[in-house]
Amino acid sequence: MSQTLINANPTVYNLTKASRRETADEYDDNIEDPIDAQEVFDLIRSISDPEHPLTLEQLNVTQHQHIHVDDNRNSVQVEFTPTIPHCSMATLIGLCIRVRLLRSLPERFKVDIRVRQGTHQSETAVNKQLNDKERVAAALENGHLLEVVNQCLATANLRGHEVASH
Amino acid sequence: MPHLELLATLEGHQDRVWQASWHPTKTLLATCSGDKTVRLWAPATPTDFTKWVCVDTLKGAHKRTIRSVAWSPSGNEIATASFDATTGIWERDPQIADWECMATLEGHENEIKSVAWSSSGALLATCSRDKSVWIWEVESDNDFECLSVLQEHSQDVKMVAWHPKEEILASASYDDTIKIWKEDEDDWYCADTLHGHASTVWSLDFNAAGDKIVSASDDKTLKIWKQDGGKDGSWTCETTLEGYHDRCIYSVSWSKIHGLMASASGDNTIQIISKDGEAGYRSVAVMQDAHGVHDINGVAWFPTQTHQDWLASVGDDGLVRIWRMVE
Repeated sequence: MSQTLINANPTVYNLTKASRRETADEYDDNIEDPIDAQEVFDLIRSISDPEHPLTLEQLNVTQHQHIHVDDNRNSVQVEFTPTIPHCSMATLIGLCIRVRLLRSLPERFKVDIRVRQGTHQSETAVNKQLNDKERVAAALENGHLLEVVNQCLATANLRGHEVASH
Repeated sequence: MPHLELLATLEGHQDRVWQASWHPTKTLLATCSGDKTVRLWAPATPTDFTKWVCVDTLKGAHKRTIRSVAWSPSGNEIATASFDATTGIWERDPQIADWECMATLEGHENEIKSVAWSSSGALLATCSRDKSVWIWEVESDNDFECLSVLQEHSQDVKMVAWHPKEEILASASYDDTIKIWKEDEDDWYCADTLHGHASTVWSLDFNAAGDKIVSASDDKTLKIWKQDGGKDGSWTCETTLEGYHDRCIYSVSWSKIHGLMASASGDNTIQIISKDGEAGYRSVAVMQDAHGVHDINGVAWFPTQTHQDWLASVGDDGLVRIWRMVE
């Protein structure tokens, strides 16, 4: 962790209710549950921020309503909101989200990750980098970077169920 | 209506496959992968083209992904470009009956994205995320001398391709442009910059005459560029092909034999595009889900008349496929 924090005093938000609205269909093994925005949100909400012992959900970086899933068309669109417009961690946060979804979602999904429009001063550059799979592949061959990503993903499986006990 | 028929599926790579390159004359295909190897594939028998085997594996020389592979025009050497920032030059040693890395070209600061031999085999070009294009002179005894370091792209350079006959090089970049490089009295310079794509240009290829270029981009379009006013004329966009792909186009191959273009995309499809009239082009065949649900990273037409209807494709599924264009 760096000595000088990019955003030393971030706003911390309350966790939303963790559990999804359950329907009878979800208990019926004969019915396939399509992947939806809630499922994708659950996968990424508890990723840790690279510089604070808080989850992306607690920092309002990821929000349920900014995820769009079309299961039939194999499409997942995730928008995230950096905590500050000049956040130099934006690419790393986006990379963590990408790796999490790469490891968790069925291979058929095409995932697009972007910062929410107007929330980052280098929006175009960050978006371009995050969606260039060759550069993502090269980044993930960097042992140090991969370690940082894995650290951020260590809490990802909490799926919003537990506040990180730091 | 023409369509693509699957001839063979080649299994062996342990990671995504990035590029396929045909031997200049033989029925021999080289493919490179995130598994740090190049595999060479050939039909199991000289007459049955439905069964292919991996006849050689080039390994050990690169520490990271091999992004690009290219045969020299003689077919005696293979060049490999790796994310480890080196280019490997390989030769087959008949004594041990295996391919060996005879030279390693160093100099780029980070990942090398593409490597290409000039038509005469006298020059080699490489390009990198370090934004530069390097031109190497091929000397005897696996000696390579760097002739020029071209640093005019403002971003990651994705691909280099030589003119089919002359010593003219084209490069495609993350800065959304294509640059044309020429030599004037041992001095390489940027002769033209082609603006028009709205995002990363991933791939390009010349036509047989060398007076046109097709380029493929993350903006989901293909563009055809043509050179005006003879040899020294500038390049202008003749046409933009839109609506054929829904996602990033990673590769395009322009057959020097029959003139058809093939494009491969993150939308899982291969499109075959043909000239239609004076300046028009249209898709004459499409293969959806050519690698199942996976991105297709590379396509390459067979380079000679013998099997001119063959197209190789490689994908994120780690597979290599050989297709036949059937009328």
